[in-house]
Order: sequence, then C-alpha cells, then structure tokens
Amino acid sequence: MSFLNAEEPTVIELVVDYGINILWHPTVGLEIGHQVSDLLNDCISGKTQLDIFVFEGTVIQGPNGTGKMNYFADRPMKDWVKELAHAAQYVVAIGDCATFGGIPAVPPNPSESTGMQFHKKKKGGFLGADFISKGGLPVINIPGCPAHPDWVTQILVAISVGRIGDVLIDQYHRPKTFFTDFTQTGCTNAAAFGEKIDGRFGKRGGCLFYEVGCRGPMTRSSCNRILWNRVSSKTRSNHPCLGCTEPEFPHHDLKKGSVFKTMKYLGFLPKEVPEGESKLAYYIKAGFHKIMPSPKGLKESSI
Amino acid sequence: MTTAKELNISPVGRVEGDLDVKVYLENGVVTRAHTQAAMFRGFEKIMHGKDPQSGLIVTPRACGICGGSHLYCASSALDVAWKTTLPPNALLLRAIGQATETIQSIPRWFYAIFATDMANKKFANKSLYPEVVKRFAAFVGTSFQTGVVASGRPVEVYALFGGQWPHSSYMVPGGVMCAPTLKDISRAHAIMNQFRNDWLEPVWLGCSIERYMQIKTWDDLMEWVEENESHRNSDLGLFIRAGLEFGLDKFGQGVGKFLAYGTYLHKDLYNHPTIEGRQRAVISAGGFFDGQNYHPMDQANVSEHVSHSWYENQADGLHPFNEPIPNPSTDSRNLENSDFSGKYSWSKAPRYMGHAAEVGPLARTIMNANPANLDHQIKDPLFGDIIRKMGPSVFTRVLARVHEGPGLFLKINEWLSQINLNDEFYIKPKERDGEGWGATEASRGALAHWIKIKNGVIENYQIISPTTWNVGPNDGENNPGPIEAALEGTEIEDPHDPVEVGMVARSFDSCLVCTVHAHDKKSGKQLAKFKL
Repeated sequence: MSFLNAEEPTVIELVVDYGINILWHPTVGLEIGHQVSDLLNDCISGKTQLDIFVFEGTVIQGPNGTGKMNYFADRPMKDWVKELAHAAQYVVAIGDCATFGGIPAVPPNPSESTGMQFHKKKKGGFLGADFISKGGLPVINIPGCPAHPDWVTQILVAISVGRIGDVLIDQYHRPKTFFTDFTQTGCTNAAAFGEKIDGRFGKRGGCLFYEVGCRGPMTRSSCNRILWNRVSSKTRSNHPCLGCTEPEFPHHDLKKGSVFKTMKYLGFLPKEVPEGESKLAYYIKAGFHKIMPSPKGLKESSI
Repeated sequence: MTTAKELNISPVGRVEGDLDVKVYLENGVVTRAHTQAAMFRGFEKIMHGKDPQSGLIVTPRACGICGGSHLYCASSALDVAWKTTLPPNALLLRAIGQATETIQSIPRWFYAIFATDMANKKFANKSLYPEVVKRFAAFVGTSFQTGVVASGRPVEVYALFGGQWPHSSYMVPGGVMCAPTLKDISRAHAIMNQFRNDWLEPVWLGCSIERYMQIKTWDDLMEWVEENESHRNSDLGLFIRAGLEFGLDKFGQGVGKFLAYGTYLHKDLYNHPTIEGRQRAVISAGGFFDGQNYHPMDQANVSEHVSHSWYENQADGLHPFNEPIPNPSTDSRNLENSDFSGKYSWSKAPRYMGHAAEVGPLARTIMNANPANLDHQIKDPLFGDIIRKMGPSVFTRVLARVHEGPGLFLKINEWLSQINLNDEFYIKPKERDGEGWGATEASRGALAHWIKIKNGVIENYQIISPTTWNVGPNDGENNPGPIEAALEGTEIEDPHDPVEVGMVARSFDSCLVCTVHAHDKKSGKQLAKFKL
C-alpha cells in the first residue's frame, strides 16, 4: 500500500510515462483467479517476458519446509517465487520481510519465514547465497518497513532507463544510492546529538538517541533526505528511528527492555554506539560534550 | 434441469494476504460459499514473551493499510493495562491519525479497488457503462489518477505527527511521541484544504461539504442527486446512478447483523483509560444491531470459534483474554483439496453474543443513526433509514464507506483546531503487569487488541481484525461468516467471469487477495478460464 504513495515518480507515471507494464499487482491487478495463474505460468514458461520480478512479503516455508502455511493460486507461494525468480531478468525484494525475513522471522519464527536471499544478516535465505538472476545480478534488496515508495519506483525507473549498471549494491544487496548515508544525515536534531541534549516523547527538541532508543546513528537509510509522504520522517516528528532498513530489524528480537528504551551499561553508557566508532572513543567524546556547555540556541525549542 | 457447479475462487481480493473462495452454483445462483484465508504468519505467537510495548512496533505492520488503526489499539490496550493518564492533546492527535488514515482510504479504495470492477464488460449493455469506463477504468480513467493522487494528501497530515504513513508508532501509552508546533498544525489545515479543493468537493461531491451534510434520508439523497447537473455528474452522483442501474443493490446481503466498537475517544472523556469507561467516551458510537434493535457494545460478548480454522487444542467460544497462543495445524490444504466439513481456513470465526456480525463502514453508519447516541457522539440518521428501506447490499456497503468522507473531513479540522500548543502531549506512565483492551474502527471495520502482561513481558496478545470478522469461516454450529453468507443467493451471470463474487468480497474490503477457478461439480471438468 505504501507503493501507491510514491511521489517521484508516482505509480501512475511509472506505468504511463516509463512504459513499465505492471503485469500483476495484488492491489491494482485486474485479474482474478485463473487469470492470475495463467499469467504467472506464461512468465515462467517465457511466453510472457518478465523483466523485473518484484516480491514483497516473507517466503513462508512452514510447516516443516512445505510452504503450506501460504497457498497462492493453489500452490505454496514459495514455489511460485522460486520459478518466477529464475524466469526474470532482475529480481527486486521490497521491504524487510522479502529482504531479510523481518518481523515474521523473529524467533520462534512460527511460519518458518525467510528473506529472498538473506535471513537477517546471513546470506542465503530462500534462493541461496549464489543466486543470480538472468540479468546477472543477485536479488536487489530495498529494505525498510515499509520501504520508502520512492526508493522502489526510482530503482524501477533506473532499470527501465538502462542505468542498471549504476545500481551499485552493498554487502546486504542494498542500492548504495539510498543506503550509504545514515538516517541521522539530515535529521533536524543532529546538532542536539552532537551536544548531548536529551530528547523525550512529547517534548520539542533534543536527540532521541540517549533515552528512547533512536537508531539513527546506526542505520543506513535516506529517510531524512527523501522525506516520507513528502513532509516528514520519524526523527523529524520526534519518533525514534527503529533501524528498519538494517537486516536485524526488529532489533534485539523485541526482548524485554529493548522497545523505545536506550539499552545501557551501568545505567548510563549506551550499549550500542554510532556505527564506525569504538565504544571507548565514543564514551570519552560523549562524556566531554556532556560536561561542556551547549550553545544556548540549541536549548530553545520552536513552538 | 438443475445444473450444479462448483467455483473455486482463489486470488478474489485486491490487497494483502490471500483469500480463496469456493462457491457452489445451482442454475447460476450461489447456494453455499466457503472462504479460505490462505496464509499464516503468527504475529501473536511472535509477541509472546516479548517486551510489553512490542505491539506498538509489530501490530501496525500487520497490515499496510490499517497500520494507524492497529497502533490506535496497541497504545490503548497498554493505556488500560498500565493505567496511564492521557492529556487531551494526545487523544486529539490519535483521533486525527485514525481519521486521516480512514479518509485517505475512501478515494484509494473506491478507485483502485472497487470501481474498476464497475468497468467490467458484464455491465456493457447498461446506459451509464461508457461514462463509468471513461472515469473509473484502472490507471487510464479520468478520475482514477485524480482520486489516487488525492488519497495521498490526508496521510501527509498523519506523517506530520507520526513521521510517516504507513507504519508509524507515534501513539504510545501515556500519549503521543510528537509535540507539534504551530507550523505543523497550520500545514495540516492547508493540506486538508487542498484535499477538499482538489478532489472532495469538485470531483467527488459536485457541491460543498456543507450542502452534502444536509442529507438525512434516502429520499434526501435521491433529491440531492437530481438537484442539478453538478451533483448528477459528480463521481458520487455517477456511482449512485450506475450502482442502481447495474443492480448492485440487489446482491451481497450478508448476515444482517452489524457490530462496531466505535472510535475517536473524546479529548476530555478518556483521560483515565479503562475498559468500562470506553464506550461512552467514543465520538463515533459503537454497538450491535441485530437487524431490528440496537444493543450496547461490550467486549465481554466477543468470542472466537476454531472448529473450521487450522488451530489445534482450542475450544470454541473463548473470549480473547482466555484464548491460548495460536497453535497452528500442520494439515493446511489448498482450496481444491480442502474438506469444508473440517478445518479450512487460517482465519478464526469471531462471534458477538454467538452471532456472526458484519463490521465496516455500513456497521458504523448504522450506529451513527442510533437515536440513543450521546450529545458528543455523531448523530446521522441516513443509514438507519437506508438499512430499513433497502437492506444491506454491495451498493449500500460502498455508499456507507464513501458517505463517511465529508463528515470526517469536518472532524479532522475541528480536532486540529482544539490542539492546545502549550499543553502536554505525553505523560510518562509507570509500567506494570495487568490486562488491557484497545479498540478502534479501522477504515474497513472493528479492530481490537487484547493484552495480558505478566512478569514484565507479554503473556498473551490477541488481535481480532475486521477482516477476521468478515472473512471468517463457519463457526462451531456451521453458521457461515458474513462474506460466506453474503455470497449465498448471488446470481453469477457468467461462470467463466464471476465478477459478482469479486464485487461482494470487495464490498467488504477484505484485506486479502482472492483467486477463482471454475469446475463443473458433476463432471469435475474445469470450465474455460475467464478473462476481463
């Protein structure tokens, strides 16, 4: 559903202006029943050319590897996924479920869910670590819960205008163009992070990293560059980043004390520190900032 | 000669998850139907033993359409369990979140999911068909793009307060995370104003919201349609005229019993959340309507049956607080191999005082017509009149959904204007063990969460979604669920293209994707495949 919120380009522009023919989509597809299975079978047999196979949702393998917990058009969904992935030029996994397994794969993983080519951080997933689509690329992962709709439509445009060669991917197969910067890049409270000014729920200003578990400094995403619904982002509206573009989301498997709380050693040292810093270096720097006076302007909040 | 046929309909909906439908035909009329939810994810099982606030992260992600509604329930359930105090600003911002999600869904659902079926060739011999195709055809219809683009506006308001839509967690026990400023509130007003000017008034109504709100009866509505060309030719005017010409008021009746929990907790009436205090604090009233009379809503009357659901070791008729963590069967089948006398769906069968009940906008608008509604509650007699005169059908269900738009628009503006920028948005609660219940009206109907917290972790979490109410299978007494019942009696004009089945399912806005295959029951021969 997030997909229909895409702005640049919109889904309608994707179809009308970029010549992307959406063969079938669960929301906007007109076919029902056998029309869907005929279409999918034509793609598998090569009768209909499938340029890009876009998959959302985990691959459900339960119970006991049979996939019977998710039938689609009469067969386990996982069987369709395998055949379509091998028939397509490019395979794009959208959202945490399809990329890394997401919430359904949190222990005890009752549906035996996994991602297309990763299970959390581990490469492999449903299609296996060595999977390469006909076009010569592994699964392109656009994670996020949800993935930003513009990340999706922009990658589809990149493929359709012949720029697939520029779609460079990182170790988790994420397009680097969206997933090199951290969520914190562009956060309106980044200065408060530097000055160690705490933010809290219901309060204007301050950084949410210290008390309510914001993962902005440890999460790669462009949420504060390409805004959500055109207007905002989690951290801009005083909502801690949940780290949903990273393979281990939901982090710490939702264990007690991990939700909207910064997990700490000795009651004051954050257990997780900004990516790329050693804990000790971070604690020393942070301690220094904490005792130094902050610029006055940072403590005034707008109304 | 009687011809009996069986239609297996697998991919019928157009949304998330998978729904398969089997219908039995005699002389082209559906005599019995079975619905099969074809996917198990086990979110309730995942939350067992986890942080008590897990529901704030997990449940909005149960659905890409009703995320804000799940959040409304998850935060409310924790409010009750933790005995929080909620400032008026928090109740207003939660109501605005719920209402913007619901109002965005009206154009999005109507154009992208429902109306494209009206462009099916089945209706090609009707006089309004060319106009319907011109406006409502998928992607290329003249209103399709306008409507889908406009639907993105209200959730921009949601994103101003929640950071993003869908999948925010901004509603937390004790209030909301955000503390909006004047620029956020002004921007929200401006965005809603654009939604009205771009679509709601010129395209959808063809009149002012104020003029539309004067409609109180079915006769008023008919007079409104014929009052001038602007009303007649608006998308609503066209839907009403074409819906009646196409006979959408003649099928898809259902169980005739309706349930709403109600929603939009009043800013000054729910500052100390309890189960007992909820029903009189809602602005859109809850209730149970048995076809004749209104009854008060009490969550204690809700239970679930699993005789025909793929769960083991569970008795029928348990209240959600007493239900075990789901124990999935390993014996699920596809539709063709399912035995409908046994278990055949991943959906449970919820019941209210033992009855299957339809939930959704039609149920809500019927409750809005209850003469006993309190002064702070919505009083709108229209659907009391319509249900008496016409009864439920595909048409009335869709009409109820789109009718909510103008009223919700006014409420959103009213609530925005009531936010006090100098007052609190959040009061930090004390965590404790206990039980809680949170409920709302998602765009597609009654949604509730039940939570039990023990030793600081989730002991039990039970969700009953509106789709579960509507697509659920038979109960322990073999009484059908609402969609199963609504399909019975439906005439299928062309078994090779059973668009009527899709329309009935979609009129409930089940959040599942459905599929169709046709078999002749006697010969077992597969009927020719159908195309749109």
